[in-house]
Amino acid sequence: MGDKTDVWQGTLALMVLRTLETMGPQHGYGLARRIEQTSGDVLALNYGTIYPSLLKLEQEGYIRSQWGNSENNRRAKFYELTKAGQRQLRKATQEWNQTTEILARFLEDASEV
Amino acid sequence: MNKLRAFWIRLLNTLRRAHDDEDLAHELESHIAMDTERGVRNGLSPEEARRQALIRLGGMAQVHDAYGGRRGLPWLESFLRDLYYSVRSLARNRLVTAVAILSIALGIGSNTTIFSIVSRFMLRPAPVGDPGTLLSLHILHDGDRCCNQFPWPVYADLREQAKVFSDVAAYFDLIPASISGGTEPERVWRQGVTPNFFRVAEMPMVMGAGFSGSDEKMPLVVLSERLWRRRFNSDKNIVGKSVILSGHIFTVTGIAPAAFHSIDQILNAEFWVPLGMTPQLAASLPPHDSREYHWLSVIGRVRPGVTRKDVIAELSTIADRLAASYPATDKGNHFAFEQAGSLPPSGRSTVLLFLSALAIVVLLLLAIAGFNVANLLFAQAINRQREMAVRLALGATRGRLLRLFMLESLLLGLGGGALGVLLSVWSTKALSSLRLPVPVPLDLSVSIDGRTLAFTFLISVLCGLLLGLAPAWAASRPRIANALKGDAGFEVRGRRISPRNFLVVAQVAMALVLLTVTGLFLRSLESASQINIGFKTRGLLMLSIDPRLNGYSPLKIGAFLAELREQAAALPSVDTAVCTDVAMLSDGNRSDGFTVGGRSAKVDSSVLADLYMVTAGYFDVFGIPRLAGNDFNHETASGPRVAVINRAFADRLFGGANPIGQRIDGGGWTYQIIGVVGNAKSRTLGEDTRPILYRSLDQSIANDPSMMGYTLIVHTRGDPAGIAEALRREVHRLDPTMAIYNLETMDEHVRTAYVLPRVAAMLFGVFGGIGLVLATVGLYGVMSFAVTRRTREIGIRMAIGAQPAAVLRLVLRRGMTLTFAALALGWPAAWMLAKIASNFLYGISPHDTLTFTLVPIVLLLVALVAAWIPARRAASINPTQALGMD
Repeated sequence: MGDKTDVWQGTLALMVLRTLETMGPQHGYGLARRIEQTSGDVLALNYGTIYPSLLKLEQEGYIRSQWGNSENNRRAKFYELTKAGQRQLRKATQEWNQTTEILARFLEDASEV
Repeated sequence: MNKLRAFWIRLLNTLRRAHDDEDLAHELESHIAMDTERGVRNGLSPEEARRQALIRLGGMAQVHDAYGGRRGLPWLESFLRDLYYSVRSLARNRLVTAVAILSIALGIGSNTTIFSIVSRFMLRPAPVGDPGTLLSLHILHDGDRCCNQFPWPVYADLREQAKVFSDVAAYFDLIPASISGGTEPERVWRQGVTPNFFRVAEMPMVMGAGFSGSDEKMPLVVLSERLWRRRFNSDKNIVGKSVILSGHIFTVTGIAPAAFHSIDQILNAEFWVPLGMTPQLAASLPPHDSREYHWLSVIGRVRPGVTRKDVIAELSTIADRLAASYPATDKGNHFAFEQAGSLPPSGRSTVLLFLSALAIVVLLLLAIAGFNVANLLFAQAINRQREMAVRLALGATRGRLLRLFMLESLLLGLGGGALGVLLSVWSTKALSSLRLPVPVPLDLSVSIDGRTLAFTFLISVLCGLLLGLAPAWAASRPRIANALKGDAGFEVRGRRISPRNFLVVAQVAMALVLLTVTGLFLRSLESASQINIGFKTRGLLMLSIDPRLNGYSPLKIGAFLAELREQAAALPSVDTAVCTDVAMLSDGNRSDGFTVGGRSAKVDSSVLADLYMVTAGYFDVFGIPRLAGNDFNHETASGPRVAVINRAFADRLFGGANPIGQRIDGGGWTYQIIGVVGNAKSRTLGEDTRPILYRSLDQSIANDPSMMGYTLIVHTRGDPAGIAEALRREVHRLDPTMAIYNLETMDEHVRTAYVLPRVAAMLFGVFGGIGLVLATVGLYGVMSFAVTRRTREIGIRMAIGAQPAAVLRLVLRRGMTLTFAALALGWPAAWMLAKIASNFLYGISPHDTLTFTLVPIVLLLVALVAAWIPARRAASINPTQALGMD
């Protein structure tokens, strides 16, 4: 696993929200797979860690869950974004962009020196 | 917001103990199934695919754990689990828990009660706006004791000159007034204040506007909230209405806040009028232009930003300036101040001393109670060693066990504290109902305030933590192997001074100190009850009126009193009726210095005597022996003034010479002495015999009227209380608007004079009794436990031939050794401490022999009984049973 990057603290929630926005309602397994794929298989994601993260988002009211049937007709718990979740996603995205932008500027400066 | 929402959900989950694992299990199962399916699609065997899916998930149990930690609040859950366990363990040992909580409750309840008194009199700020910047000012004269009040001109100078104050106000303490109309007429008390008084105090009115700057001489009145409620039925439209006070019409301009009684928080004023109006309510007030009469209390509001140092500096400058301008009157005067609402400086040291004596006693009591409980918990901890060893062996950390024990004792502390607060609610109520033998109304009510509750909470927690410390440490470090076998893992044998023995010695020593103090106060009460007050009280009923408040002239008062005496004497069971100004044992009335006629006070000896006005027959009614000369006999106001003196007066001024017929000067008059009577207590029970001068009421009433009203005293053949109503009717027949006060039998009146020794004896008696019970229980507990622990040893001794009597001696000797050690420690401590109490003892020495002999003997006997019972049990041990025990 040494060549893969661990998921940074707190970024998993943002990934979950974003994935739910693009894919619509999704179950935990699908989310985990999708996040892994989106990262180009670079992220080392313990699939299990997604569940506490989902619980936290649900407690905070950003997502809601419901049991349903998967494409293979299997019972699974589906998560979907709430209104508050959409707002939070926009906010978090903006904050994240800002952070990376600032950091990027620093790193550019550093590489120019 | 969302974080908060998450917190609430987690909190609810914790409290509801929601452990809905099934949902997650299903979810994870479907997760694995989907992942396995994908593996199979990629060509793995179903078993291998499932194995890899599980690895990718990171383990079922781990996910469940992480998920569970997120669902609730893990720290709270673990705390609740401990709490649950503690409560269960306390409930299992019901007797120990009950004794422990009760002990702590008695200890903490006593402390709470005393602290509520401290809080009321020492810590509570005056109920004014921003009490920190309001100062009470005094005048301090070189060489005199603190403190004097202000003459009007000095107040005026200070108000004009002091820049450190934004304003200065003055008030004149307590003057009686009568209030009538509606129900029974009543005597109420008021203060005269400068119109800026409530503004300086920053006290907004409940209703109305109060006084304004130009109201100096207007007939206006601010009522206390209590008076408004009691006499005016909480009339919402009272402001602007007129009320009649002592026959004068006043307009109500405001209702003062309910909490406000007076600036010093002790006097209980019921209404306030502008100082300029006071002459209407009280005759013969000092003149406004005199710098000699000190009669005003003064408060000053410190400007923002002004420091204490600035105040001291400016007041000293002003004092110097006044001394230079008015050397005759103001030389040697300084200003002193303290935060308004503090105890008046005159009584402060006495109160402090009494409260510190009480504080020491209740702290001792708490310590005894605490040691008791610590002992109990210690014993319990030893019995629980096996349980602790099992827990340790099963993997509990010692820290966790420590936490468990601390939590248990903390619960005991808090439980005891809660019960203690209930106890002190009751005790403060009892204390508040006491009346002091003084002629002015005081507000001495004590209740449990927020400060007291905080204090109680703090000592409960502290108590709980300290109590748990030793047993927790002991019980959480058993040697596992031994303890599991049922051995006392940490009890080191052969050590003579175990911590438990130390506890019990300290406890008994403290009980000795406590009981000695208690004994001293009980003896003091006993000796107070034997004080010869010098007059008889049987069959006497008294009643006071102040006709001056109804606008009577002095002459009319004299006539009124004469008529009242005549009517009262005509009542069927009454045989004599006499009058005086103020009854004896009411903390005095007035006193003057006297010299032998014609000689100047400066050259010759003078005597300070208490003055009483009386009518003919007074001495016979009170059974005061007439030693020489005559009684009064209906003197006329115009005749030469005559006086009867008591023996102390005669001895002091005339030595062995015959005083009859001599002339004496004092208080601006010359009296001829016509008689000498026996000594009697004048002001208080505890006083040394004071010189008294009795003068004729008929002669003195015109030029020197009483400021405190007049008292009728009747002697009845039957029960004096029975004619109280008849007497009241007689007064109202003469004048239905006359307010009656102090209507009580002389027995009741004198009993209030005993209130101080009685309260002291009661307080210390209660505390001492509690201390004795706690110490006894403690000693018994230790002895009894020691016997239980040594059952096997005693069994062996008896099996190899020890006689029961020898065993009895063995156990008793141990108990007695502890007791003697405790007495040797406690006795000297009690001896030293008794000195503090000496100021409050009546007629006995602080090192009273009886107390200091009797108390150790009593304690020794109690200890003997406490050791005897377990010793008997030990002596009756059956060796076979004892050896076969587990």
